[in-house]
Amino acid sequence: MTSHEKDLDSLPYTEYIREIMKPEGIFEKPEPLKGIRVLDIGTLIFGPMVATYLAEFGAEVIHVEMPGRGDTMRPLAPFADFHRNLAAGFEATNNSKYHIAIDMRTPEGKELIYRLAKKSDVVVENYRPGTTDRWGIGYRQLIKINPRLVYISMSGFGQWGPFTFRPSYDAVAQATSGLIESTGFPDGLPLKAGAWIGDFYGALMGAFAVLVALYWREKTGKGQYIDHPQAENLMRNMDWTWIYVGLTGKNRERYGNRDVAVVPSDIVKCKDGFVAIAAFKESEFKGLCEAMGRLDLFEKYADIDERQKEESQEVIYSTLHEWAKEKTVKELEELGERFGFASNKVFSSEDQYNDEHWKARRSIWIYDDPIFGSLAEVAPVPKLSESPGRIKWTARPTGIDNEHVFIRLLGLTREEVDELYNKGVIGKWDKNVFFSCPPPDWDGESGLFYP
Amino acid sequence: MAELEESSPITYEDVPWSDWAKENCDPFKAAEKPEALDDIVVLDLSYGSFAGLYASSLLAEYGAKVIRVEPPGGDIARKMTPFGIKIKDTGLAYIVEGRNKYHITLNIETEEGREILKRFIKRVDVLIETYAPGYLDSLGIGYRQLSKLNPGLIYCAISPYGHFGPKAESKKADYDVVDQAMSGMAWTTGIPEEYEEFPEHTRVPTKLGPWMGWYVGGGFAAFGILAALLFRRATGKGQFIDVVPAEAQAKTNNYYIQYYHTKKKVVGRIANFDPAVFVYTLVRAKDGMAFMAGFSDVNFYALTTIINRPDLRERYPTIKERLTPKTWPECLAEIEKWSKDKTVKEIIQATLDYTGDGTCVAGEVLKPAETFKEENWWLRGGLRKINDPNYGEVSVQGVVAKFEKTPGRIKWLCRPVGADNEMIYSGFLGMKKEEIEKLREANIL
Repeated sequence: MTSHEKDLDSLPYTEYIREIMKPEGIFEKPEPLKGIRVLDIGTLIFGPMVATYLAEFGAEVIHVEMPGRGDTMRPLAPFADFHRNLAAGFEATNNSKYHIAIDMRTPEGKELIYRLAKKSDVVVENYRPGTTDRWGIGYRQLIKINPRLVYISMSGFGQWGPFTFRPSYDAVAQATSGLIESTGFPDGLPLKAGAWIGDFYGALMGAFAVLVALYWREKTGKGQYIDHPQAENLMRNMDWTWIYVGLTGKNRERYGNRDVAVVPSDIVKCKDGFVAIAAFKESEFKGLCEAMGRLDLFEKYADIDERQKEESQEVIYSTLHEWAKEKTVKELEELGERFGFASNKVFSSEDQYNDEHWKARRSIWIYDDPIFGSLAEVAPVPKLSESPGRIKWTARPTGIDNEHVFIRLLGLTREEVDELYNKGVIGKWDKNVFFSCPPPDWDGESGLFYP
Repeated sequence: MAELEESSPITYEDVPWSDWAKENCDPFKAAEKPEALDDIVVLDLSYGSFAGLYASSLLAEYGAKVIRVEPPGGDIARKMTPFGIKIKDTGLAYIVEGRNKYHITLNIETEEGREILKRFIKRVDVLIETYAPGYLDSLGIGYRQLSKLNPGLIYCAISPYGHFGPKAESKKADYDVVDQAMSGMAWTTGIPEEYEEFPEHTRVPTKLGPWMGWYVGGGFAAFGILAALLFRRATGKGQFIDVVPAEAQAKTNNYYIQYYHTKKKVVGRIANFDPAVFVYTLVRAKDGMAFMAGFSDVNFYALTTIINRPDLRERYPTIKERLTPKTWPECLAEIEKWSKDKTVKEIIQATLDYTGDGTCVAGEVLKPAETFKEENWWLRGGLRKINDPNYGEVSVQGVVAKFEKTPGRIKWLCRPVGADNEMIYSGFLGMKKEEIEKLREANIL
């Protein structure tokens, strides 16, 4: 046993875990997806974000955009409020990638895609079903030049079926899946999630599917095709909804913040904010009742079957709200700790950003980008002890990595590259389109990977 | 480039793309094909957590052998069911996530139970647990101890605050509502305070209806496990994975952290609008609600042409005017003058009939009971009717991603508490029948 091991053994548990996770030492550790090259030819969020999750864990991702304006996502800034030419939406969906720009509709552009596909492990796209096949850069074409390729198509409703050719956005998937109609209060509005969860989370499950296919490829050498539908993914995550509808013939209604299966579990309004509270296990429910000074409720509803009845829920939830009204956020959080029930403030982005615990975990990743300066992302999730994820740089100007990829990776000559520029097959940012450009005060060198 | 052109793979196939995709990725033919993860053994030690259960479901769908370990009385997650509805003592949500798993019991609160767990550890690849940080360590079966028995072990812990940091010592359990609250998702979801036409109790931060905090947490856990499995294939090393569902859901919460960092501004509740795209919202129809989008100038042109309101283009000429929170309810009210006496179908038809410049997209907002009736999901296996020997004929969500060569599948739905004790303890650990019986009597199984 080395002395270091012995030290680890004697540490209190959470300090031991901190030691093996070491958030400040992440760049000294290897990356789990090192050596995997991903060709990200999609646009907006649902495709590119698949590649981002892979990039955060070490894949080399090449994001292909149209010369000039680039990805349709580039102008997506909240309230049209940009930061040094960078839109927060584009930033959040494209860290740690190489950005090249090819007009894939031209024959030469397609040839470049073939050369890249030959050297890649994964292709991600999210065009309307059949589009890349029609362009000649679909799975059926690319698998011929690279039988080890994992090719994933991300779409609203999948590659076949009655809904296949419906136009799709995140909100369409949320609406069709039933997610919107199961969110909100019965006497309020059906509510869209406050974020593009169908895109961001759907893309994560696409990344998971890619890793499953890569794992199998490691054993067999074979690539394959994956059809990943966004709306079905949201439906998959709707817990007991479908089995309930099927059995009872009833709709899953909107229940506001109350959980009708985990009682009690709710969001309460208190004096200075909102707090989520849950107490399902007997000891937790007892603790909560004790904190409320209502042990009579515990005696009456200790039995979970009794507690889940509609009329019991009404009593428990209204008692909880009435009690919490007079408390502060801090009091409710502390009472939870003391009496053993779950409670936490409803966090805003500001709360997350300033939370000491999240800071200590480096859950918000603040970093200096060589082109855009100081930025923050939500850190890669989850946290791995031996091969952690990391943010390397943010989204980059359109086509900035053309030379790095075409010359260094594909072996094209300078002359060939220049000819492609002249023909408009490849390109860089358009200085008349500010969101495709580096920031105005960029020195023209910082952050370049080539030469 | 000349050499490339000669070897160009462009051949346009006779079979239409959709037909090819259906033929080759049909989930109903999954049983004929191999499984991607069939060499992986997972021990799911989660308790009272659908994040844990969903993570192991994902691995089980693609062929991992998942051994679901419950205490002798069963996992309390079996009781998390709407209004107490159960089939054979098991709640509806648990039946959905029991898929393809072997259900065994083991009392890890006993020394003997822990010794048995250690026997498993030498032969499993992945362990998933959801206890309070340090609990299993204090029992001598945490990552610190188990990774010595099996250095290749991938140990995935799911908890509300994570296993390090100042709040890691908290004994608060992980619940979906707390995850959604901490993730920031509940903060931006809901009706803003100033929309006074809605009752006061509805103008609050709102969680997503289903257990999205738990599910998203479980999804990220499965992703991390696969990344770790690939790393282990290359290096032989296992590792510790720290999953916080709130951090996971925060990762899906748009760009709000990015925006806060650069502008020090907080995005609040946005009703059914979107801070970066408008028009992109729900509109009231005669018979429900529809989604409508027409964001860029040309698409806004399409939308305003369809609803015959060219004057709106003068009022809101560019995205600058359209992306102010004051505009949203104002402009929506104008759009609803057109939409509220049309049916959802008529609204969609109007957008499909439009042939001018740009596109306006419309879609229906379905209630779960309506979604359930759409043929689309049943044809694609997104929803499945399963006739299960234990739980009868029930409808559940199927496997999402459709793989060409190693499709996921549902082999069985769920099993009663301890149903696979004999098979796993004798078949996997090599115990004798009498030994198993004795352990059962001693309440160790």
